Amino acid sequence: MNFGIEWAKMKRSGFVPAFLAGGALGAFVPVIQMAVRSENDTGFLGKPLEILLEANWSMIAMLNVMLIVAGACMMYHIEYEERGIQKIRTLPTKEWHLTAGKFLILMIASFGALVLETVGLGGCGIYWFEISEDFFTELLKNMGYVMVLTLPTVIIMLMIASWFQNMWISLGIGVLCVFTATMRQTDNGLLSLFPFAMPFQTVYEANVNDLIAAAAEVIAFAMIGWGIEKIRKKTV
Amino acid sequence: MNMIETRNLTKSYGDFTAVSELSLHIPKGSVYGFLGPNGAGKSTTMKMFLGLTRPTSGTFKIDGKQYPKDRVAILKEIGSLIEAPAFYGNLTGEENLEIIRKILGLPKSAVDDALEMVGLMQFKKRLAKKYSLGMKQRLGLAGALLGQPPILILDEPTNGLDPVGIHEIRTLIRSLPQKFQCTVLVSSHLLSEIELMADEIGILNHGHLLFEGSLDQLKDGAARRGYPTENLEEMFLALIDEDNQRRGGQR
Repeated sequence: MNFGIEWAKMKRSGFVPAFLAGGALGAFVPVIQMAVRSENDTGFLGKPLEILLEANWSMIAMLNVMLIVAGACMMYHIEYEERGIQKIRTLPTKEWHLTAGKFLILMIASFGALVLETVGLGGCGIYWFEISEDFFTELLKNMGYVMVLTLPTVIIMLMIASWFQNMWISLGIGVLCVFTATMRQTDNGLLSLFPFAMPFQTVYEANVNDLIAAAAEVIAFAMIGWGIEKIRKKTV
Repeated sequence: MNMIETRNLTKSYGDFTAVSELSLHIPKGSVYGFLGPNGAGKSTTMKMFLGLTRPTSGTFKIDGKQYPKDRVAILKEIGSLIEAPAFYGNLTGEENLEIIRKILGLPKSAVDDALEMVGLMQFKKRLAKKYSLGMKQRLGLAGALLGQPPILILDEPTNGLDPVGIHEIRTLIRSLPQKFQCTVLVSSHLLSEIELMADEIGILNHGHLLFEGSLDQLKDGAARRGYPTENLEEMFLALIDEDNQRRGGQR
């Protein structure tokens, strides 16, 4: 795996600004919500973080999943646009090094956006609520929980983006999956295990089974991707 | 000693056979011209050498190493330019070569050496997507030459170059075996181009090898069969035409 090489390829691709802007936008969602509806939200009974997440997390999670979709599409678009990936395939390296490097970058970028959003939520808590000692612990727990649940989305979206040379096809599939994931709010059954729906959960819905499911999905998708790559090599 | 050797190498796509029972012998330290009209199977053969496409049947050895068992070891020895140059448009020429250099584990100086060799030094900071077609071709060539590999596989390397560029690249390719002790497999559909570069020639038509040997052997053989030898292009066309007739007028 070569993280440095994959990182170098992302220069001038718009990937970093997209995640910074997306993260900042996600961080501003609760700020704007509180600025407009602070009287309403501060009147609710319950933990400040729970109120904040209840009011904002769907929007923040949708932004995050959209960012992952766009990021994965960008990553493979630069590979296919001028056939850079073909050159890499003629070099003494294994293709899974490329995929693993991209996975790490997309994971770190989405974690970066989550950190910015956590800062936004923390700021709202401090400014608009009377917070208790456990506010920040729960805030960090929420960030960690969502980070784990984000991983299946990262890996499956990378797989989708790698299958289609035309970026618009993978982007279209990604957007469809995001909209399907938003249906989770009315269905807490199987759909909550859909990789694109997992990041919509918060620490207040935390369930060990979901963490296990996320880990299992990452392993399963990695194996499926590896198998498909083997088949592709045998059939070209 | 042969650097590249194939035995009955075949590649089929469904009913269509792109390369048929090809047995090539490419001597070490030579420039081998791979000649044939468009669609003859030159690029497919080269792609098989690079593991970009899998042979349907037959085998090949490169520097004594067998594909697919030694795929990575084979690729370590090959610099290649296949079809159109492949690169990252969002990176500069220099950054593109840096990526290849890092994968190959070469010293930093290798990038400037390659850029110097193909005459791209002054444009190294320019984005590759803003290069002209000829500059992109030179960048592809620089990527192939990086680290002076013992084997070079170049698919129509003068495509898109102006006459001065064609002459420069031809001279460069011709000089490579002496300079770096490498073996060059270069394809073209123009005999006039190949005769200026190659020591050995292989002529391919519809996936079949029509001739393999030196240019003198080609001329002798052609003369014996009554083909015009004073004009090489005509001789080549006559050979291809005869093969097409044999295949029932297929073009």
